[in-house]
Amino acid sequence: MTALLAQASAFGSVTLYHYLFVSAALFALGVIGFLSRRNLIIMFLCTELMFQGAGLALIAFGRHWMNPTGQVFVIFVLTIAAAEAALALGLVVYLYRRKSTLDAQAWAELAG
Amino acid sequence: MTTDHASYLPVLLIVLMAIAFAVGNIVLSRLLGPRREGAVKATTYESGMDPIGGARKRFNVRFYVLAMIFLVFDVEIIFLYPWAVSFAHVDPRSPDGALFLGRVLFFLFTTVVAYIYAWRKGVFRFE
Amino acid sequence: MSEKLALLHPEMVLFAATCVVMVLGLARSAVWRSACAWLTGGALAAAFVLALRSPVTDGLFPHFLAYTKAMIAGVALLILPVMSGTVDRWYERRVAKGAAFDALRVTRGEFYAFFLLSVTGVMLCATADDLIWLFLALELTSLPTYIMVAISTPRVRAQEAGVKYFFLGALAAATFLYGFAMLFGATGSTSLDAITIQFRGEGLSTIATLGLVMALVGVSFKIAAAPMHFYTADVYQGAASPVSAFLAFMPKAAGLIVLIQLLATVGWSWGEAGDALPDAIRVALWVIATLTMTIGNTLALLQSSAKRLLAYSSIAHSGYMLVGLIAGPGGTVARNGLAAAMFYLLCYGVMNLGAFAVLASLEVRGRDGEPAEADAIDDLRGLFRVRPGLAWAMTLCALSLLGLPPLLGFWGKLVLFTSAIGAGEIGLVVVMGLNSAVAAFYYLRLVRASMLDERDPDAERPIVTEALGRRLAAGLSAAGVVGVVVFASTLQSASHAAATPNPRYDEFLKVEAPARQSPPAATPTARHN
Repeated sequence: MTALLAQASAFGSVTLYHYLFVSAALFALGVIGFLSRRNLIIMFLCTELMFQGAGLALIAFGRHWMNPTGQVFVIFVLTIAAAEAALALGLVVYLYRRKSTLDAQAWAELAG
Repeated sequence: MTTDHASYLPVLLIVLMAIAFAVGNIVLSRLLGPRREGAVKATTYESGMDPIGGARKRFNVRFYVLAMIFLVFDVEIIFLYPWAVSFAHVDPRSPDGALFLGRVLFFLFTTVVAYIYAWRKGVFRFE
Repeated sequence: MSEKLALLHPEMVLFAATCVVMVLGLARSAVWRSACAWLTGGALAAAFVLALRSPVTDGLFPHFLAYTKAMIAGVALLILPVMSGTVDRWYERRVAKGAAFDALRVTRGEFYAFFLLSVTGVMLCATADDLIWLFLALELTSLPTYIMVAISTPRVRAQEAGVKYFFLGALAAATFLYGFAMLFGATGSTSLDAITIQFRGEGLSTIATLGLVMALVGVSFKIAAAPMHFYTADVYQGAASPVSAFLAFMPKAAGLIVLIQLLATVGWSWGEAGDALPDAIRVALWVIATLTMTIGNTLALLQSSAKRLLAYSSIAHSGYMLVGLIAGPGGTVARNGLAAAMFYLLCYGVMNLGAFAVLASLEVRGRDGEPAEADAIDDLRGLFRVRPGLAWAMTLCALSLLGLPPLLGFWGKLVLFTSAIGAGEIGLVVVMGLNSAVAAFYYLRLVRASMLDERDPDAERPIVTEALGRRLAAGLSAAGVVGVVVFASTLQSASHAAATPNPRYDEFLKVEAPARQSPPAATPTARHN
C-alpha cells in the first residue's frame, strides 16, 4: 500500500488544475476541429468533444466543492449528447441520401 | 465478526429473478414458438446479417432507426440509478415518498409514449 | 417541493398535448390526422389561460412567469395558423386520391409535436431556477427546431439549412455549457439563488466572469446576436417561411429569458452609481449589442431576398433588445430596461410574424415550373393589384418593424430608448438611433415593392396559397400592429411588473436559499492519487 502511494506521489498529485487543463484542451480541440474540418461526421464528433470537455470540468468542480450536483449535471449532459447524436445521424443520413456527399463545403444551395 | 446475512437477500432475489427470466423465456419459446428448419436458420446467428462476406458492406438503414430506439431506453437507465440510490433514503411515510415515486413513474411514462409512437410509426415492422 | 409543480401547469398541459399529437399524427383516418393542429391550438389556449394564473414566486422577479408565459403562448397561438399546410401537403393529397397510407411517410404529428415541445422549452426557461434546468430547457427549445427546419419543405435547401442550424447550434450549446460549468466551478452550486448569494457576498471572481461571458456568447446564438449570427440568413431562407417565423420568435424568446436569468444572478448593482452591470459583463454586452445592430442593419441593406432581409432584421432587433438588458431594471416603467426588452419581444413577435405570414401566403412559379415559396423582394411587386389585403398587411408590419410612430413597433422602441437614456447609456442610444434610421431604407423597400411598384409584364404573377390559415395570421398580425397599440400601456405595465425585482428577495435569500443547496465542504479539495 505504502509502495503504491509512493509510486503515485512520484508523478505528483493530480489537482483540480490538471483536470481543468484537460477539459480546456478538449474544448479547444473541439473548437479547432469544428472550424477546420469539413466532414460533417468529424464536425459532429468535435462538438461532442466540446461537450465532454465541459462535462469533465463539471465533474472536477463537483469533486472540488464536494457537491454531487456536478455529476448529476453530467448525466443530463450525456443525455443531451445522446439525443444530439441521434439527431445528427438522422439529419446527416437524410442529407447524404439527397446529395451523396458529406463535405460541408458542397452546400451549393446556401452560398454565404 | 458477524455478517448480516439478511442484507444480502436483495442480491439473492435478483439472481433468482435473473435465472427464472432466462429459463422461463427458453421454456416459453419451446412451448409456444413455431419450429422450422432451413439453411438460413442453421447458419451462425449475427443479428440478422449474413455472417460470411466482406465487412465493408452497407447496413440497412433500419438498423440506424433501431439504434436510436435503443438509445432512448439505454439513456433512460442512467437516470434510474441515481433515483434508486436516493429513493432508499426517503421516509416511506412522508408525502415526499409518493412524489418521489410519482416522478419516476412519470419519467417511465414518457418512455412508454416514445415506444407507442415508434410502434405506430412501424419501426418494429420488417418486411 | 410539490408547490413547485404549481408553477409548471402550462408546461404540463403542453406536454400532455405533445404526447397525444405525436401518436395522433399517425392515425389511419385523415380526419384524426387533421385534428393535430386543432389539438395543438387548444393546448396553447389552455396554456395561455393557465399562464395568466401563474402563482407569484419568492424569486427575484415574483411576477415574471405570468407575463412571460402568457406572451409565449399568445404568440405561439398566432404562429400556429401560419403552420397550416407546411408539411405533408402533397402526401395528403395523394392519400385523398386513394394512395395507400404509410405511417413512415407522414410528418404532420411530429411537426406539431416538435412545435409544442419547443414552446414548452421556452416556458421552462422562464420557470428555471437552476443551471441544469436552464441548460435542459434551452436544448428542449432548440433540438425540435432543427428537425422542423429540415422537414419544413421537401427541397434539399431546407435539409441543408437544418444541418447547418444543428451544427452551429451544437457549437453554441457546448459553449454555454462550458460557461455553466465555469459558473458552477466559481460558486460551487448550480442553483441560481445560491449563485446570487455567492456573487453578492464575495463579488465576481475571474472564473465566474469568464463563465458568464462564455454563457452569454453561447446563448447569443439563440437570439441570433453578433458572434453567433452567421447561420441566421441561410437558415431562415432555407426553411419554409412559417418555420422561419417560428425561429425568429421562439429561440429568441428563450435566449432573452435565459440572458435575463443569468444577468440577474450578477445584478445591476455595480458601477459608479450602483445601477449597472459589472464592467466586464457590461462591456461584453455593449460590444455584442452594438455589433449585432450594426451588422444586422448593414447587411439587410444588401439583400435581394425578402426572407434574408427579414433574417438580418431579426439580428438587428436582437441588438435593440440587448440594449434593454444593459439598462437593467429601474424603478419606473420608462426606466425599466428589462421590461422594455420583454415588451419589445412581444411587439417583435407580432409584427415580424405578419411579414413572414405574407411571404408564406404567396407562391411563385419557379424556373422549373413548380410552384415555390415567394422569396425575392421582386416577388412582392404588384402585390397591391392582386391582393390588396396582403399588401396592406406587409406594409403595416414593415412600417411597425421600422418603428413608425402610431404603430406597435414605435411604442416598443420608445421604452427601450427611455430606459437606455435613464441608465446613462448615451453611446448606445446614439448607435441605436442611427441604426433605426438605416433600417428605414430596407423596410421601405418592402413597402414600395408591395404597394407602389408595378409588376414586370412578362413576369409571373404571384399565386396565393390555398392555406387560409396563413392569410388569417397575416391579417391578425397586421390588426395586432394597429390594435394592440390601444393596450400598449397595459402591456407595458404588465411587463414592468414582471421585471420588477422583489424587494424582499434579500430576506428570501437569507432564509430559503442556503437551506436549498448543500453547503460546500469547509476545505474543498481535489487531490487524487
